[in-house]
Amino acid sequence: MVLNNFKIAFRNLRKHKLFAAINIIGLALGMAVYVLAGLIARYESNHDAFFENSDRIYTLGINAAPGLNVGIDKMNVVNSAVGPILEAEHGEELDAVARTLRYEYLVSRGADGFYERVTFADPALLEIFDFDYLAGDAEALNSSSGLVLDRSTAIRFFGTVDAVGQVLTFDNQYDFSVLAVIEDVPLDSHFNSSLIMDGELRIIAPIGALASLRGFEAEGEWSNLSMDNMTYVMLPPSLDAQWLQAQMDGLYERLMPEQQREIIASYYVDPLQQANLAIWDAIGMPAITIIQLLGLMVLIVACVNYTNLATAQSLGRTREVGMRKTMGADQRQLLVQFLVESLVIAAIAMFVAVACIELAIPVFNNLTNKAMSLNYLDTLPWLVATTVLVGLAAGLYPAWLITRTSPIEALRDLARKGRKGAAMRSTMIGLQFGISAFMLALVAIVYVQNEKVKEGSFIFPRDEVYNLSRLGVDEIAPRLDTLKNELEALPGVAGVAYSSQIPFEQSNAQRDYATKPGDESTEFRVNTLRMSPAFLSVYDIPLLAGRNLDRDIAGDVLVPEETEVLNVVVNELTLERMGITTPQAGVGQRLYRLGEEGTLRELVIVGVVPTQNILGLFNQEKPWIFSYFASQMSTASLRISSGNMLQTISDVEAVWKRVIPEYPIQGSFLNETFDEVYDVLKYMNSALAGFAAVALALAMIGLFGLAAFMAAQRTKEIGVRKVLGASSFQIAGLLVWQFSKPVLWALAVALPAAFFATKIYLNFFADRIESPILLLAAAGATAVVLAWATIAGHAWRIARANPVMALRYE
Amino acid sequence: MLKLHDLYKIYRTDEVETVALNGVNIEIDQGDFVAIMGPSGCGKSTLLNIIGLLDNPSSGDYFFFDENVAGYNESKRSDIRKRNIGFIFQSFNLIDELNVAENIELALLYQKIPAAERRRRVNEAMDRMGIGHRAKHMPGQLSGGQQQRVAVARAVVVNQSLILADEPTGNLDSAHGQEVMELLRSLNNEGTTIVMVTHSATHADYAKRTVNLFDGHVVTDAMRAA
Repeated sequence: MVLNNFKIAFRNLRKHKLFAAINIIGLALGMAVYVLAGLIARYESNHDAFFENSDRIYTLGINAAPGLNVGIDKMNVVNSAVGPILEAEHGEELDAVARTLRYEYLVSRGADGFYERVTFADPALLEIFDFDYLAGDAEALNSSSGLVLDRSTAIRFFGTVDAVGQVLTFDNQYDFSVLAVIEDVPLDSHFNSSLIMDGELRIIAPIGALASLRGFEAEGEWSNLSMDNMTYVMLPPSLDAQWLQAQMDGLYERLMPEQQREIIASYYVDPLQQANLAIWDAIGMPAITIIQLLGLMVLIVACVNYTNLATAQSLGRTREVGMRKTMGADQRQLLVQFLVESLVIAAIAMFVAVACIELAIPVFNNLTNKAMSLNYLDTLPWLVATTVLVGLAAGLYPAWLITRTSPIEALRDLARKGRKGAAMRSTMIGLQFGISAFMLALVAIVYVQNEKVKEGSFIFPRDEVYNLSRLGVDEIAPRLDTLKNELEALPGVAGVAYSSQIPFEQSNAQRDYATKPGDESTEFRVNTLRMSPAFLSVYDIPLLAGRNLDRDIAGDVLVPEETEVLNVVVNELTLERMGITTPQAGVGQRLYRLGEEGTLRELVIVGVVPTQNILGLFNQEKPWIFSYFASQMSTASLRISSGNMLQTISDVEAVWKRVIPEYPIQGSFLNETFDEVYDVLKYMNSALAGFAAVALALAMIGLFGLAAFMAAQRTKEIGVRKVLGASSFQIAGLLVWQFSKPVLWALAVALPAAFFATKIYLNFFADRIESPILLLAAAGATAVVLAWATIAGHAWRIARANPVMALRYE
Repeated sequence: MLKLHDLYKIYRTDEVETVALNGVNIEIDQGDFVAIMGPSGCGKSTLLNIIGLLDNPSSGDYFFFDENVAGYNESKRSDIRKRNIGFIFQSFNLIDELNVAENIELALLYQKIPAAERRRRVNEAMDRMGIGHRAKHMPGQLSGGQQQRVAVARAVVVNQSLILADEPTGNLDSAHGQEVMELLRSLNNEGTTIVMVTHSATHADYAKRTVNLFDGHVVTDAMRAA
């Protein structure tokens, strides 16, 4: 009996090759997308599991208070002062605490140097993470000049992993010796997370070395908080996250400086496995859930597709069912028969899907620098369960529909059956197109928003600014004037400006200023940017009132430990925060700096520029203060006149080589800085578009099949209408309208849903698209037009057929 | 009114060529009531389809009110059809999802007639066929005879000058069959031309003239002795 069921199933597939192919391809496509989404989710949420103690390792993080104002809710970094305090207070109870900080240095072996992001870590890092040592051991960081390299870095510098004892020099000044070489950290570690920029463990140096490198004291700081300030805690098996959380809460209460409480609301403890996803937690976007949901949606569309096509097809088999029933089959037996068929199809589809995924994974890994794989041992139960569920869910309705009729009815009355499931089929068509339109609307809105972000970025001359970075080195600083003069002498260079930050660089240097001296209640937070006066002209920033800064005017230039009153340029938003309405009224107004450190007490506004989104991208517009402070310049911005840019760039490189021969030039166009973050937005939308395209394609396949079926069902009616004089056009319209109704109903639900869903995305942006209503309408219209295009051919062919054919065999 | 001259209809499939009509010549005048008889497969329905402009002949001429319509395309035929010809089928061909009134209205829907006028004429036709009290019923709720009356009402609602009936009584018992034939006769008396295909000699007697077909030929064409 079971064998017989399988035999029938395969024979039916062979007999209806086209239908079978459509069914299998559609289902396979849906399954492939679903499984891939599941694999991604699984991969991303199972990072770092290979570390022996991964279940005992935790990262510390901060929950943002309103004062942080950089658009994140939480981040798994803490002030570098926290680690040592925890160690001092609870060193006996917990197993280990280690901090990491990352800074970029020119790392050279002799004359060959690379700019490298070096991870400075407490020695305990090597206790917490059991790296795979190729040379040396976990004691390497105990010496303040010891280094740990990973395999690739060792090979890059020395051509061998046998590098212990070799010397590397940082910024041409500080010598370190390699004491250990570890195997490259696997890609599925949060250190290599594609979501966290530049976290790779290539070179590990002891945190103690930072004392001489940049005056960083080992006890850490309360004031600084950067994305690199990770602190890891390893607990003994007897203690858990709650215990650690309690210690952190206590620590916050007792020790957190008042100032910091405005930006840090509390501490949290996360298991290590969460670290890879921390960036999504930070911006409050549940990316993994979204991917899983999208995958599930596509799978549902595929199932509905199958159900519809199978229903249509099975009605052609009512005669078979009638015969079987006449000969004594009961409904249960027939149900089993039809379900076996749909299970067979689901299984074939899953094989196809798995084959597609096996082909896709290497490409995907390559594109995204991941090491995903389809591990059959782990995923088999899930794949089988998915197959069975899909087979049953998709096959149950057609099986039930076709097997429930009495044998006489089944043998005699073919047409009647089609109508009974009409509401169900319409609902399913609606569901498919609703999901597709929903995704389409998301894609459209995200796309247009991204375009808007891009468009907004053109307030700065993106194509014409060439930036030279890594200037913040003591050795380079004295040569900046020479560099500037020589660069400005080049024919293709229209201007050279130095600054601490350039547009689109994601860095927030913020400070509180008060509008009344000594009155803390008038304080507000301002982003600060150090610049040379040419910055405004290089970046086309107009002056609305007052004047630009000038190096020859004494009060304009900050002299550390000396200046008490400094002239600055501010943007309009700063004036707004001060309660000043016009740029003109702002000139001459003052801002006050409270607190102990430094000599600077007062700022005088001498110039006002418009509010521009300097951080760009998804950031909110912020109040900015531009001041002139000759040191602390990290970047030179060169305004390159269009024309022979290549020549100009090579001239610039020649100048650099002459002036600063011992450091390699690090040049890039402003475009590239922008694209670095913008590409993330773009890729996100490409992924979304991929999901939407698959869903839409499936919905169209389904509709195509269903239109064929429905047209067949209505043959008689169409014949009658034609005999009575309906034109082909009217008939086609009738059929098209029949399918438009459920699609339109679905849109009425899907588009508002999409509207709310995109709000999550739009909320990230300061400069939002005005109203997504038009886009929603466009997405809806696209879905409807595609639905029409799918059925129009059918409808037209059937509408043109000779009515006699329709009525002949009644 | 109708003139068929040397009409051929040949069906071709890959292997066989079937001659359904083999040089048929018939003239039908206005006000005529013609019964077409003959064994199964003799070409009755094919002839009716061609007369009803549902199908084209393979060759020959067909004059419909002096207009040779033999080579007309579907849209032209459809245009003539909806203005002049009503159809009655053996299996009624009512649309199951539409109620009685809507089924009848269907015939008016494809003419340019305002809704109020359509309603008036539907009511009139239903009264005439004695099915006014069934207006809101679905076809499935009616007996065969009642369904065929609805079909007749649908055929006459446009005031067609020609009604084609393809075995209108074939699915009915004798009492209901007779009812329908009486209806047709009264329509004919009012001036409507009727061409009917039937197997029943009794029902053929209602016609003024009987045409016998055999293998695509007209074998006899006789006026009924009045």
